[in-house]
Amino acid sequence: MSTLESVREGYRTFDDQRYAPFVKGVALFALLAALPYIIEIDVAGMELAATLSLKVLILTVIYAYTAQSWNIMSGYTGQFSFGHAAFFGVGAYATQLLLTDVGLNPWIGMLIGGLLAGLYGLVIGALTFRFNLKGHYFALATLAFAELLRFVVTNMSELNGANGYFKPFPRDYGAEYGLAAFQFQTDLPYYYIILGFLLVVTVVSWAIKNSWVGLYFFAIREDERAAASVGVPSFRYKLVGVAVSAFFTALGGAYWSMYFNTIRPDTVFALFKNVEILLPAVVGGPGTLIGPIVGSFIVTPVSEVARTTFTDINGLDRIIYGAFLVAIVIYSPRGVVSWPSRARALWSRLKGDEEVSE
Amino acid sequence: MPTIPERRNRMRHLVTSVAAAPLQGGGLDRFIDPFAQFLTDIANMEPVLLQLLAFGLLLGGVYALTALGLTMIFGVMDVINFAHGVFLVVGMYTVWLVSTTLGISPFIGIPIAAVVLFALGIGVHILTVEPIIEAPQQNQLIATLGVLLIIQSAIEIIFTPDPQQVELSLGSVQVGGVFIPLGQFYALLIALGTMLGVRAFLNRTDLGRKIRGTADNRDGARYVGINVPQINYLTFGIGAALAGVAGGSIALFQRFDPFTGEAYLINAFVIVILGGLGSFPGAFVGGLIVGMIQVFGGYYLPGTTSQVLIFLLFIGTLLVKPEGLFGGAEA
Repeated sequence: MSTLESVREGYRTFDDQRYAPFVKGVALFALLAALPYIIEIDVAGMELAATLSLKVLILTVIYAYTAQSWNIMSGYTGQFSFGHAAFFGVGAYATQLLLTDVGLNPWIGMLIGGLLAGLYGLVIGALTFRFNLKGHYFALATLAFAELLRFVVTNMSELNGANGYFKPFPRDYGAEYGLAAFQFQTDLPYYYIILGFLLVVTVVSWAIKNSWVGLYFFAIREDERAAASVGVPSFRYKLVGVAVSAFFTALGGAYWSMYFNTIRPDTVFALFKNVEILLPAVVGGPGTLIGPIVGSFIVTPVSEVARTTFTDINGLDRIIYGAFLVAIVIYSPRGVVSWPSRARALWSRLKGDEEVSE
Repeated sequence: MPTIPERRNRMRHLVTSVAAAPLQGGGLDRFIDPFAQFLTDIANMEPVLLQLLAFGLLLGGVYALTALGLTMIFGVMDVINFAHGVFLVVGMYTVWLVSTTLGISPFIGIPIAAVVLFALGIGVHILTVEPIIEAPQQNQLIATLGVLLIIQSAIEIIFTPDPQQVELSLGSVQVGGVFIPLGQFYALLIALGTMLGVRAFLNRTDLGRKIRGTADNRDGARYVGINVPQINYLTFGIGAALAGVAGGSIALFQRFDPFTGEAYLINAFVIVILGGLGSFPGAFVGGLIVGMIQVFGGYYLPGTTSQVLIFLLFIGTLLVKPEGLFGGAEA
C-alpha cells in the first residue's frame, strides 16, 4: 500500500510539471508507433494480430485523425457539425480528380482539396452563423450541406457520377511506389503516414487549446452571448474553427482516397460517414485532446473485429455495434476520458462507506 | 512523366470542363433545358402535367404521413429520432408478414403495424432515450442511430436483404385521362385520415392537450401536474405508431428492403423543417412540396437531380425561416 501511495505521490509531482503533457504525448505516440509490432508479439501462442490486423489499426488511426479534426470545430467551439463527410469527400475527390486528369502529385492535390474544403466550410459557416442557427437546426443544416454534395457529385458526369474514381497506378502519373507518389505496396508505410497526420493535427489542436484562440473557442462554447459581451468576435472565430477543421478533415479524405482503391459518392459522402467521423470524439470525450484518439481505439476495432468475426451471419456485427453505441452514450455521456475521475470518485465513495460502516 | 506545358494544358482543360461546366455549352443547358421544357409544357397545356400533379399529390400525402411521427417526437421532446426511418421499415415488414403468412388483408395489417410499432417505440424510448433525455443532444442522436443499426440489421438477418413486396393487385383507375394507381390512392386516403385523426386527438382529448402542453413548455407542464416522463414515452410510442401506419401504407404500392428507410428519413427531416416544427398542416404542405419536386424533378431533370433541389430548398428554409412555413402553429 505504501509503495502504491509513493508511486501515486510521484505521479502527482510529475503531473504538476510543465513538461508533463509533452512527455505524455511523446509516450502516447511512441506507443502508437510501436503498435504494428506489438500486435505481432506472440503471447502464449496467441497473436493479437490474428484479430487486430494492421488494416484495422490504419482505419482506427484514420478515424482518430478525422475525429480530432472534427473536434477543433465541434468540440472546442461547440458548433455540433453533423456534416463533416462534405469536407472528407471534397478532399478525396479533389485529390483523385487532380491526380487522374492532370497528373498532379497527390500531396499537392491533397492540399488543394484541403483549401477547397476550408472554403466550403467558410460558406457553410458564413450562412449558418449569420442566420444564427443553433442546436438541432445547425446539425441538420450541416447534414444538408453534406447530402447536397453527395447528390451533386452523383449527378455530375464530369466527376464520373455514381461510379467515382479508381486510384491510378504510380506509373500513370510518372512516379514510383514510395513516399513521393503517396502509394506503397505494403500497409506499414501507410500506417506511419496517417500516424504522422494524427500527430500534426494533435499538435495543432494542442496549440489552439493553449492559445488565446482556444480561449475564445471555449468562451464561445460555454456562453456565446457572454463571450460576445466581453468583446470576443464570436462570428469570426467560429469561422476560423470551421475552416481549420474542414481543412484537416479533407486531408483525411485525401489519405482515404490514396489508401483505398476507389472512391464513390456513396462511400466518401455517405450519410453514415458523417457519423463515423464524429463518433470517436463523442465516445472519447468531445473538447478534449486525448478523447478522439481513445474513442477511436474503442469504437473502430469493435466495429471492424465484429465485421471480420461474424462473417457467417451478415448484419450481426452491426447489431453488436449498435448495442455498443447505445450502451456507451447511456453509461458514459461525458466520454471515456471521464472514466478515471469517475473511478476515483467511486473508489473514494467506497472507502468512505467503509469508514462509515466501521 | 508529363511535361510541364502538357500538364498546364491538361490543367486548363480540367478547369474549363469542371469548374466552368455550368457556364459552358452543354453545362448550363442541362439546367435551362428542363425548365424551358417545363414552361413549354405549361404553355401547351400538356396532359402530362395533370398526370404529374396527380402523382405528386399521391406521393406527397404519404410523405407527409412519414414526417408526422418525427415532427411529434421532435416537437415534444426536442429529440432527433434517427430510428424513425427504420420504424417505417418495421411497419412495411409487419404488413407484409401478416398478409403473406396469416393471409390477412394488408389493410388490416396497417393497424396491426401501428400496435406493433407503438409497443416497439415505448420499448426503445424506455431503454435508450429516457435515460439520456437531459444529456447533450448528440448523445440522443447517437443512441437513436444505434437503435437504427440494431433494428435494421435484425430485419436483414431475419428476412434477408432481398426486396419484398405485398401481394396486392389493386390495379388503377382512369379519371379524365389521368391514371391513378389505386394502391397509392388508398395510401393517400389513409394518410389523410390518420392526419385528421391525430389532429382531433391532439385538440380534443385530455391526453392530446397534455402532449401539446408539454411540447409548448416542459417546465410549465410539470408545474401544472402533468406527468412529463409518461407523456414522453406515450409521445414516442404514438410517433412510432404513426411511422407504422406510414410504412404500412407505403408497402401497399412499393417494394421495400431493410434499407428503404434511409431515403424516407432524410426527406422526413426536410418536411419537418419545411413545414415547421410540430406543425401538422406544415407537415402536409411540406410533404406535398417534397412530393411534387420529386415527381416533377424525376420527369424533367436527369438522374436524382431533384434531390439537389430538395436540399437547396431545405437549406434555404433553415436559413431564412427556420421555424418553417407554419412555424409557431400548435403542436
